[in-house]
Amino acid sequence: MTQPDVRNDPPDFDVVVVGAGPAGSAAALTAARGGLRVCLLERGPFPGSKNMYGGVVYPRVLDALLPQWWERMPVQRWVTRRATMLATETQALTVDYRTEAWSRPPYNGATAYRAELDPWLAQQAVDAGAILVTGTTAVGLLRDGRGRVHGVRTDRPDSTLTAPLIIACDGVNSFLAKEAGLYPSFSADNITLGAKEVLGLPKEEIDKRFGVTGREGVDIEMLGVTGGIPGGGFLYTNLDSISIGVVVSVTALARAKVRPEELIARVKRHPALAGYLRGARLLEYSAHAIPEGGYDAMPGLVTDGMLVAGDAAAMCLAAGIWLEGVNFALAAGAAAGDTAVEAIRAGDTSRMGLAGYHRRLEGGFVLPDHRKLRRAPHLLLSGRMQEVYPRLACDLVENMFTVTNPTPKKGLGRLVRQGVGERGLRWRDLARDSLTALRTFG
Amino acid sequence: MNCIVLLKLVALQPSIDPLTGVALRDPHGGLSAADRCALELAVQTGDEVLALTAGPAAAERVLREALAGGAARAVRIELPSAASSLQVARVLAAQVAGPALVWAGDHSLDRGSGSVPAYVAGLLGWAQALGLVAVTAGDPLRVQRRLDAGRRERLAVTAPAVLSVEAGVITPRRPTVRALLQAQRAEIAVVHTSPPVPEPGRSVPFRPRARVLPGPDPGLSARDRLVTLSGALREHQPPRVVHADPEQAADELLTFLRARGVPR
Amino acid sequence: MTGWGIAVVPVRAGALPLGADETVAESGGVALLVGSGTIEAAERLGPRAGQVEVWEAGDYRPGAWAARLAAQLAGYDTVLLPASPDGRDLAPRLALMLDRPLYAPAMTVTPGQVTVIRGSGLRLEEHTRTGPCVATLQPGVRGAEAVNTAVPIPVALHPVTPPSAIPDALFVDLLAADPTTVDLADARVILTAGAGLGSAECVDLAVRVATGLHASFGATRVVTDAGWAPVSRQIGTTGVVVSPAVYLAFGVSGAVQHLSGLGRPDTVIAVNTDESCPMMAMANLALVSDARALLQVLAERLGVAAPPGGGVGP
Ligand SMILES: Cc1cc2nc3c(=O)[nH]c(=O)nc-3n(C[C@H](O)[C@H](O)[C@H](O)COP(=O)(O)OP(=O)(O)OC[C@H]3O[C@@H](n4cnc5c(N)ncnc54)[C@H](O)[C@@H]3O)c2cc1C
Ligand SMILES: Cc1cc2nc3c(=O)[nH]c(=O)nc-3n(C[C@H](O)[C@H](O)[C@H](O)COP(=O)(O)OP(=O)(O)OC[C@H]3O[C@@H](n4cnc5c(N)ncnc54)[C@H](O)[C@@H]3O)c2cc1C
Ligand SMILES: Nc1ncnc2c1ncn2[C@@H]1O[C@H](COP(=O)(O)O)[C@@H](O)[C@H]1O
Repeated sequence: MTQPDVRNDPPDFDVVVVGAGPAGSAAALTAARGGLRVCLLERGPFPGSKNMYGGVVYPRVLDALLPQWWERMPVQRWVTRRATMLATETQALTVDYRTEAWSRPPYNGATAYRAELDPWLAQQAVDAGAILVTGTTAVGLLRDGRGRVHGVRTDRPDSTLTAPLIIACDGVNSFLAKEAGLYPSFSADNITLGAKEVLGLPKEEIDKRFGVTGREGVDIEMLGVTGGIPGGGFLYTNLDSISIGVVVSVTALARAKVRPEELIARVKRHPALAGYLRGARLLEYSAHAIPEGGYDAMPGLVTDGMLVAGDAAAMCLAAGIWLEGVNFALAAGAAAGDTAVEAIRAGDTSRMGLAGYHRRLEGGFVLPDHRKLRRAPHLLLSGRMQEVYPRLACDLVENMFTVTNPTPKKGLGRLVRQGVGERGLRWRDLARDSLTALRTFG
Repeated sequence: MNCIVLLKLVALQPSIDPLTGVALRDPHGGLSAADRCALELAVQTGDEVLALTAGPAAAERVLREALAGGAARAVRIELPSAASSLQVARVLAAQVAGPALVWAGDHSLDRGSGSVPAYVAGLLGWAQALGLVAVTAGDPLRVQRRLDAGRRERLAVTAPAVLSVEAGVITPRRPTVRALLQAQRAEIAVVHTSPPVPEPGRSVPFRPRARVLPGPDPGLSARDRLVTLSGALREHQPPRVVHADPEQAADELLTFLRARGVPR
Repeated sequence: MTGWGIAVVPVRAGALPLGADETVAESGGVALLVGSGTIEAAERLGPRAGQVEVWEAGDYRPGAWAARLAAQLAGYDTVLLPASPDGRDLAPRLALMLDRPLYAPAMTVTPGQVTVIRGSGLRLEEHTRTGPCVATLQPGVRGAEAVNTAVPIPVALHPVTPPSAIPDALFVDLLAADPTTVDLADARVILTAGAGLGSAECVDLAVRVATGLHASFGATRVVTDAGWAPVSRQIGTTGVVVSPAVYLAFGVSGAVQHLSGLGRPDTVIAVNTDESCPMMAMANLALVSDARALLQVLAERLGVAAPPGGGVGP
């Protein structure tokens, strides 16, 4: 039983934001711009230090927040070619799309290093007046006599920070959201593991192998490369390195007793990819948990004196070929910051006073997207999607393109029927999956 | 006691381009563990600790860390990072007014010569005790200095003196959040200098130098000495580089060792 | 005295510092030994030194020695000291007294050029010399010709009194090397843990694997600094100097200060995720693999996976 912490001193800040990831920095930026006294707390020695990976970010959400962001943001390459690959151990069927439109402002996606992106974002908040405190972990919530959150305890000697509003942006598995009781039922099934290697390769070599020039980059997502463990693979080009990795179900991984590095090694050996990677040098390896999106796994977002944003609120979409989280985190962070300004000005940070947060998330893309794609993880991680469909598609195309003289060619319809039959696939399942897909993505 | 601590902003994970030998930029430098220990000792042995750094504006970060850690004042001397160790020592020594204990780290991660503290002692004409692995407070200070081949030297040091310490000599305390916040707002004095920047050396990746090997036993016959020198009759295996997962690596390693009689 | 170069070798109770022989060889055999027990030290150095002066000057005093030595050394273009703890300590003081640039620690020193080691051994810097200098030579990088110590060499002894006006720290006493490291110095097989192991637990695992292989356990300075292994286990310039036949390096980058304590092992096995680091470059078998996972597998294969006396529970 923790003693309620009753102090009559004025609070140290208007808002304490915990975690200087994309969500936290966006929250601190908007709150500071609104004139609030903001403290941004980060446990690493600098923002992004614990979030090492190069992924693809979709920064259009910054248009309003940081106009012309593309002129200043530390970007590796602009994604102008995006491919989706369905694969079996020996086959690959790729849909490869490229457009010039994505290589000009306002762009679409960009590859970036978190160790560069996060410090830059945090600096925007600092420039707006927020105070960044690094090397400091929030270890608990302070509550007043009525049980309302009004500060955090940190791991520094006898150091507490008080504020009428806490914004928890402490990432996946949020300790603060759990302590606030916002996760009614938390289970490992809602967590995916992302594991990634960064491989060094000279820029000219990357340009040549992927058919790009200048700052153009490539994003390849794969299904069927994770050896039967539900999940997907990804490959992104940075300026002079390649990020390659997998996103897989933690429980299935544990059951299969496979180490994530081995899975990556398998992806790297895939004949459709090996050629891209020849001679590349391992620069770093990292693994990190990802909240496996899904609207249904989201915790409560608001309590008295506290808001939750970003991965801490499971606002991340990680399902096979999808990997989006930074954009959701930025938008949710900004919504939290705006709500903070409104609530502090009105002098009401109770659940009621913070109701604007939900409204903002509903009005933007964060909650609508998650609701719309709520079935996507389940669909994409199902056994049929993982193993059967990639094989079916590959075999179909292989049969179509294999010249079988002197036997005459089979018609497409016959090939499909044959494939479905051989896989023991029931038409009913196929129809149901198509319908789910249509409802989800249509 | 009047205490001064010398702190340097360094890349904490120095890395180089293996082809060109150019040091890669690490934008997130900080204090080395040794400098952190020097700060803690200065705070524990002194009353009004002055923290000094010579370097570009980014180096103010380490002074804020010092202020949070208990230093009372901080001064940055503007100096390009290419300045020589002697130039660094000169501008640092110029800030020392009156007898004091000057604490420093044993060596900086990027330069690694440990000469700045010795220069400062020489310029001030003070005693030095460098590369310390143990410090016991008191007057005189009782300290242990690391020598080669595992030996130690025990010294008694009285002020004024320059002391440099290795990482691990003490466990620095963590500043409170309040101290961190105060340090963020504190004023940092800047002293301007513009020394001529020395000609930089040409940077190349580390390559070992050809080593002189001891000759064969002079008691051997001329033929045997020749054979030993040429290595003609020794069994040679070309070096192998193997990329392997842990299981395969264990196979490789144990097979390789067994062929050489290990474990016996 | 005048000439191209001279080696200045600080001596304690007759013991030569690490790298003394190489320093003397690099300066063409001209040497000045200073300290206590210098004659005995000169005999140990053997006739590689063509021209040896010994200064019996008592306990180590960098400030006073530098003041006293400067005039004697002014005629030499190059004043070279070993980059041993005492050499590193004395060299800047000498450079100040002589008003010369200092190159430290150097890999090579010639009349025209000096190559110094930077970034804890990751890179080198080549400098063209423009005049006289003081330099320290990194022990172990050069090697030295064998000498027959049975042949006596002529030495010129000068008892000297260092000037007392110059303050130095007061010498109390010398502590001998930790006796528990003796096994390391004589070991035929050594397994060394480097920073790549990442945690105290993994270093403990390495100790057990070493036991399983009947090898002695060593560590790099990063590991001993972190407190994951006792300082007595540190191999290198400022640790123990070893000469194993078989050397296994797990997560060790191979910085010069480490390699210079290593002797010349016949067989080197290195495990590292970075294929191009110096330790891998000198290995007979270079395994590009995660050292932590490999140690776990090795521990299981060797039957040492559980800590000794390891029961259940905390
Ligand atoms: C391998 C992998 C690949 C991915 N690829 C992509 C991609 O390509 N595109 C994309 O959009 N998304 C991707 N994501 C998802 C994306 O990383 C997250 O959704 C996003 O980072 C969420 O931002 P956030 O600010 O909520 O949390 P985080 O980025 O996790 O930030 C949380 C911050 O809080 C700090 N913190 C945590 N606890 C505390 C505490 N108690 N006290 C103080 N500080 C604390 C952390 O150090 C961290 O800085 C990927 C994730 C992984 C793991
Ligand atoms: C004056 C002076 C004296 C010194 N004396 C000594 C001395 O006596 N002895 C000594 O050892 N050092 C000494 N040093 C320090 C020396 O310069 C180096 O800093 C030190 O030897 C580096 O130790 P390391 O190889 O363990 O660490 P690092 O240089 O940090 O190397 C770690 C290595 O582990 C690898 N790695 C990382 N993760 C993994 C993984 N999962 N699996 C496999 N490999 C991995 C990395 O690629 C890297 O190569 C001295 C330095 C100075 C300046
Ligand atoms: N530019 C600098 N500013 C302040 N202190 C320094 C600077 N350079 C070196 N030092 C101090 O001298 C120690 C040894 O550094 P070095 O001589 O460069 O190996 C460091 O650990 C610092 O304490």
